Amino acid sequence: MVTRINIGPVHPSTHGVLRLVVDLDGDTIVNVEPHIGLTHRGVEKLMENRMYMQNLPYMEKEDYVASTAYGDAYISAVESAMGIEVKERAQYVRVVLLELQRIASHLLWLGTMLNDLGQFFTLFMWTFKDRDIILRLLEEQAGGRMFYVNMRPGGLIKELPPGFEEETLQVMNYMEKRVAFYENYLEKNEVFIERTKGVGVMSAQQAIEYGVTGPVLRGSGVDYDVRSNKPYYVYKELGFRPQVLSGGDCFARYKVRMLEMKESIRLVRTALKKMPEGDAIGMPIKLILPAAKNRIVSVSRETPRGELFIYMVADPQKPYRISLRTPSFINLSALNALAKGSRLADLFAILGSLDLVIPDVDR
Amino acid sequence: MLTAELLFLLGWLASLIDSSSLTYQFLGFLIYAIIVAILVSLFVYVVSWFERKFIAKVQGRHGPTFVGKYGILQNLADLVKLMAKSHFIPKSADKILFTVALPAILGLSIFMIMLIPLFPSTGIGEFANNLLLIFALFAFMPLFVFLIGVASGNKFGEISAQRSVIMILSYEIPIFLVIAGVGLLAHSFTITNIVNGQSKWYYIVLMPIGFVVMFIAMLAELERPPFDLREADSELISGWLTDVSAPYYSLALFLDYARLFLGTALISILFLGGWSGPWLSGIVWLLIKMMVLVIFIMIIRATTMRMRIDRLLNLGWFVLMPLAILNLIVTYIIYEMI
Repeated sequence: MVTRINIGPVHPSTHGVLRLVVDLDGDTIVNVEPHIGLTHRGVEKLMENRMYMQNLPYMEKEDYVASTAYGDAYISAVESAMGIEVKERAQYVRVVLLELQRIASHLLWLGTMLNDLGQFFTLFMWTFKDRDIILRLLEEQAGGRMFYVNMRPGGLIKELPPGFEEETLQVMNYMEKRVAFYENYLEKNEVFIERTKGVGVMSAQQAIEYGVTGPVLRGSGVDYDVRSNKPYYVYKELGFRPQVLSGGDCFARYKVRMLEMKESIRLVRTALKKMPEGDAIGMPIKLILPAAKNRIVSVSRETPRGELFIYMVADPQKPYRISLRTPSFINLSALNALAKGSRLADLFAILGSLDLVIPDVDR
Repeated sequence: MLTAELLFLLGWLASLIDSSSLTYQFLGFLIYAIIVAILVSLFVYVVSWFERKFIAKVQGRHGPTFVGKYGILQNLADLVKLMAKSHFIPKSADKILFTVALPAILGLSIFMIMLIPLFPSTGIGEFANNLLLIFALFAFMPLFVFLIGVASGNKFGEISAQRSVIMILSYEIPIFLVIAGVGLLAHSFTITNIVNGQSKWYYIVLMPIGFVVMFIAMLAELERPPFDLREADSELISGWLTDVSAPYYSLALFLDYARLFLGTALISILFLGGWSGPWLSGIVWLLIKMMVLVIFIMIIRATTMRMRIDRLLNLGWFVLMPLAILNLIVTYIIYEMI
């Protein structure tokens, strides 16, 4: 007998407002239907009526966990339209900020996923404390902790503050120890391994067919990372290596994110060491696009959740159309395939491992 | 350190209960029930405050600090808030069950605590084989959870009810096997005899495996993490308690800690020597041992994750039960040697 339960939009477990209609046969899931759109603000349409500078905060609020990545993607689209290049030092600074944001985003993911698994907030509190340290670093550069609005075409709004490099290196040492601590705690924990190994398995073929990206894709054994397949900024010079694991279950996806955190720590250290002297300030974008070389541009970036793809039709004053291909939307579409046949308790482990941010799904 | 007056009061109570007249017996039990209820309420109040502070400190925050010094009055404030809310029963729910079940299980829990001789020197509450009666009644709680869950008329309650019944299958048998081992060592199932039998060695020394099995199975029985599947609040909202109104919810919270009292009292009686100890009176020693176990349980709560229901069944049948049987065999060998 199939019962239908509604894991409603207001729920302590879904990361935002997501309604899941689950058909259960006893304890086994027969079908999961996500109902999205509860935080749909029509951002793409709103951005059509505002000038380029005014649109930057909209992009950042898409995914509030990793705002730097989205702001940077938008500014890259504007740079493509204007046909200007990012200054070299600015590229290094952007990479540092992006990778710091990636560590912060993965820490938040870790805390919330463990919260779903029943670890009463303890690890949530600890990972948020660590994330706070990184947010303080980003705040020193940008002035804000969650929404930065610090990217400008060609560079940033201001330089890194003095003393940033030493502080960041200290924080990276601390982060290394913390990541090792979390890995040690979780991988020796039988309950965690029981609840994530073999749960929500997705083969490489399925992953490609569904179009998922990010750690979900790399956890299924597919070697695709925008930073290495369509490289941008200075990732090639820094020797970036994508972290790929085969396994396809929640544990593999968890492990990929932990490895990514370590890789980000390494990237930050290398970037700070190799950073050239120079100027990282970009131009203000309240000017209309003066030398608008390209009308139609597209930009692909690797956010902590997956691949963000922006397709923009650029008019002189406002974007005529911006289309966002957000990673969480596509990752959520694979939920049914992942959860079919598992137990109800596994649904939350799978949701946690997909790392969804619902405003990213709904735009 | 019971003062002389209190001892006198308890002695008078014991004489009431032992008297031949039925009304006096009834009166004596009534007064004893009130005393036990007050004692349990104090325990519940202090331990729930302590748990909030303890878990908060583990997580790097403070816990309640505003209401009263160190937040000691926070529970009182919460109680007043919960009692002041309106009580209504959803249309799809069973009226009688909803109204009666929670107070009934609470009364049953207090009754079970009355069966433990908390004041051993006075002899109140002692009768033969009271340990077996307590454990038999302990298993009533999942039945009531099932009733309330099914009676609530919503699907989360039904799922919670299912899980509750499945859980019984995993932890009840190991508990009874361990009790059998204790009964073997003490030659009886009466609590007083079990405590007196530990005058030489506490049973935790003679049956360490049994202690571990009992502790884990008791965590499952008390619905404490990592086995808090009934009200898995990140999954099922509140499971069987989703539609229970606020005044009754406070009863459910009280019940949680009242069963903690009972569970830890039983473990300390069976393995840690109960109320035996030098210089302090019996009830104080019992409470000290109970608090040690409670702190352990809180540490486990702060740091573990919830198990899945089928893994719990696995644990119960493939780990706990073989260990309990092994414990029984080893205990028999030791018993033959002593």
